[in-house]
Amino acid sequence: MQVRLPEFSENDNEVMLTMWHVPESSRVTEGEDLLEIATDKATFDISAPCSGVLVKIIKKEGEKAAAGDLVAEIQEDDWNGRIK
Amino acid sequence: MDVVDLGLTAYEDALSTQLELLNRRIKGNIPDTLIVTEHLPVVTLGRTAENSAIDRAYFENENIPVVMTNRGGNNTFHSPGQVILYPIMDLRGIKKDVSFYIDFLEETVANSLRVLNVAAKRNSPRRGVWVGEKKIAFFGVAFKRWVTFHGVSVNVNNDIGPFSRMAPCGEADIKVTSVKKITGHMMNMTEIKEIFTRQFIKDLEAVSCRCDCRSFPKMTTKLC
Repeated sequence: MQVRLPEFSENDNEVMLTMWHVPESSRVTEGEDLLEIATDKATFDISAPCSGVLVKIIKKEGEKAAAGDLVAEIQEDDWNGRIK
Repeated sequence: MDVVDLGLTAYEDALSTQLELLNRRIKGNIPDTLIVTEHLPVVTLGRTAENSAIDRAYFENENIPVVMTNRGGNNTFHSPGQVILYPIMDLRGIKKDVSFYIDFLEETVANSLRVLNVAAKRNSPRRGVWVGEKKIAFFGVAFKRWVTFHGVSVNVNNDIGPFSRMAPCGEADIKVTSVKKITGHMMNMTEIKEIFTRQFIKDLEAVSCRCDCRSFPKMTTKLC
């Protein structure tokens, strides 16, 4: 599954990726904290949209991105909890 | 909305309380909660803080800890006599918009200060609440699943001298003031907390109405 930045603000077009809570190649569980982004006055934790393996981090810490940008890819588990 | 006055706290203790209430709010176990407190002297560094922007030797000599934290924003200074608001609020029922929420915080703090006859205003696009060209309130917030934590500090009776040992909010040319500096007298902090709390709840009720409002300034003039 592609992980894209959600809509977070009408007035902040770009945010900085400040922290990946989970390193690349690690397992993630749907709903767990995945990534922290920051505007000039706010931080915002983004949670994993599905369970699986964070196979690729596309945007690194310190890089900027906008809502809708692709930042990572998760290889989803199937319904048995196995990697698809 | 529940209101919790923690009294005078160490920064880390108040942060622990915030995180506990945040997790309970995310689970839906408690209502929106406004934490009110004053901090023991501390410098906090937000996610965009530059270490070089504070005089570390001065704060070390004064035994004032410098703490990195997970809020947004840059550096600031807290001490007794400064009122601090940490709203733990689920924005999903209001508006899922980071800048909208900060606009709201700035507006309600400015409204509270005007109750005290302090001519406070927002200064868009710069963040904060200002009296003339001097900053009186400082903002740094965080969100987890659209529940807010961290918040705002407002200079009331506190010594603002230590602000000269840093570039507050990362802005080197910033000047800082307090309610005491402006009015010439000390304020009763219990009354101050009540004023800020009452105004916060009043302004929150205004934005929580079911209007299809697009921004906070419109909502203040278009009550349901």
